Amino acid sequence: MTELLTLTTLSGILVAAASGIVGSLLTLRKMTLLSDALSHVALPGIAIGIVFKFNPLFGGVALLFVGVLLIWYIEMKTRLAVESITGVLFVTALSLGALLIPEQDLLEAFFGNAQNITLEQALAQAVISIGIIATALYLLKPLALSSIAPDLATSSRISQPKMELLLLILIALTIAVGISFVGVLLMSALLIIPSVTAKNIAGSFKGFITLSIGLAVIALLSGLVISRIYPINPSFATALVSSAIFFISLLIKRPTR
Amino acid sequence: MSETQLLKVEDLSVTIGDNKILSNVSFSLDKEQVLAIIGPNGAGKSVLLKTLLGIIKPTEGKIEWAPNIRVGYLPQRFHVDLYLPMTVAEFLNLKPTREMTNEKALKLVKVDTSWLSRKLAHLSSGQLQRILLAWSLLDNPQILLFDEPTENVDVVGQESIYSLLHTLQDSIGVALLIISHDLHAVYRYANNVLCLNQKMVCYGQPEDELTVDKLSSLYKDQTFFHHDHDYGTIKIDAKPEHEDKA
Repeated sequence: MTELLTLTTLSGILVAAASGIVGSLLTLRKMTLLSDALSHVALPGIAIGIVFKFNPLFGGVALLFVGVLLIWYIEMKTRLAVESITGVLFVTALSLGALLIPEQDLLEAFFGNAQNITLEQALAQAVISIGIIATALYLLKPLALSSIAPDLATSSRISQPKMELLLLILIALTIAVGISFVGVLLMSALLIIPSVTAKNIAGSFKGFITLSIGLAVIALLSGLVISRIYPINPSFATALVSSAIFFISLLIKRPTR
Repeated sequence: MSETQLLKVEDLSVTIGDNKILSNVSFSLDKEQVLAIIGPNGAGKSVLLKTLLGIIKPTEGKIEWAPNIRVGYLPQRFHVDLYLPMTVAEFLNLKPTREMTNEKALKLVKVDTSWLSRKLAHLSSGQLQRILLAWSLLDNPQILLFDEPTENVDVVGQESIYSLLHTLQDSIGVALLIISHDLHAVYRYANNVLCLNQKMVCYGQPEDELTVDKLSSLYKDQTFFHHDHDYGTIKIDAKPEHEDKA
């Protein structure tokens, strides 16, 4: 039992760190709503996992990849904004998921439940998170450049579609590993709120990334600890800690311009 | 393509969707030369630059660069998010290939190295332009493509960027391909001028090509000219423009 708890906590730290770094790239690219909407795309996959009795994490990953490729493809073909396409997929996936997932499992899919994470799941999440962090750090410069100055990136021979696809894949993987902690509806507590808070108070890019990672880890760990003391779902505690830090950061430093 | 040539463009045409943006444009650029591209709003100037850079694919024609050439690019627009947490040093460090230190590049654009710790978002548009120029110099380019901004840069800033480019041409021998809205600068600095309005309207030395007749037909009613007695040249007051986006 304690082994599982330790592993879940460790896996949580890695998942939160991955969310922090991917979230900061999303914030730079102003794609914050995308991840929120994209996370719902995992629902039908989770449903398939539950119905056919395999790990819902893998069903979620599979569906997220289908979703990401669809978004990427439709954007290349139609020039519709990514967020508009995501909006369509999001509603479709949410209703399909809600329809397919048995009622007693629906709440867990929506809000996650860290207490039900199995040993196998915790391990898979930890390994995938390390992969996300390593990839994001290794390609941090081209990813950042293509977000803040697309023309400069292209003229430096950095392919814009490739960077976009890479970022979408990183988002999909991050959502997949984060869902069992915070669920599809509260994924922003790890992906978006920490990076937005960090952007508000950081003075440099390095500080921004570091803070974003740190705040996501603090939020998730606090959520796990609070849920041990009080009988509430860790995802609610995580989300509320995350937004509390955001509001406190507004008091520390109000945007001046 | 001859030894001294850096760039040779032949019969270049670009069509985007159903719109023919450029047709049959041909020119070349030699080492250490300055070529200015002028033309009214929507003439395809920015599209031409982006096509040369490979951002837009040409529909027809040939673009030939000298082997292993290093090309620098200063885009027309570079809007920095006001809350972007990034210092000048961190921005310059994003450059994938480099031949010189940040300090040396800043020295070339006559900016104090203390700027390295300043936040990118706190720079004025003129200051940002200098940092962009430093960025493009980092890999020691043989040719610099400069899409002159039509807005947000005050006149003083514009004059200094031209004299700066001119100094760079002397100090590091870089060739320049400039989209310009300032005919005075074209007269003063350019070896050749290319007048563009979807097709080539003129191409040659500024003294021969920038006549009142040719300019009137190039700009039609988009602009009005007035003689500048100080320089004996013609100035153009462009209307506010937003049409040049690719």
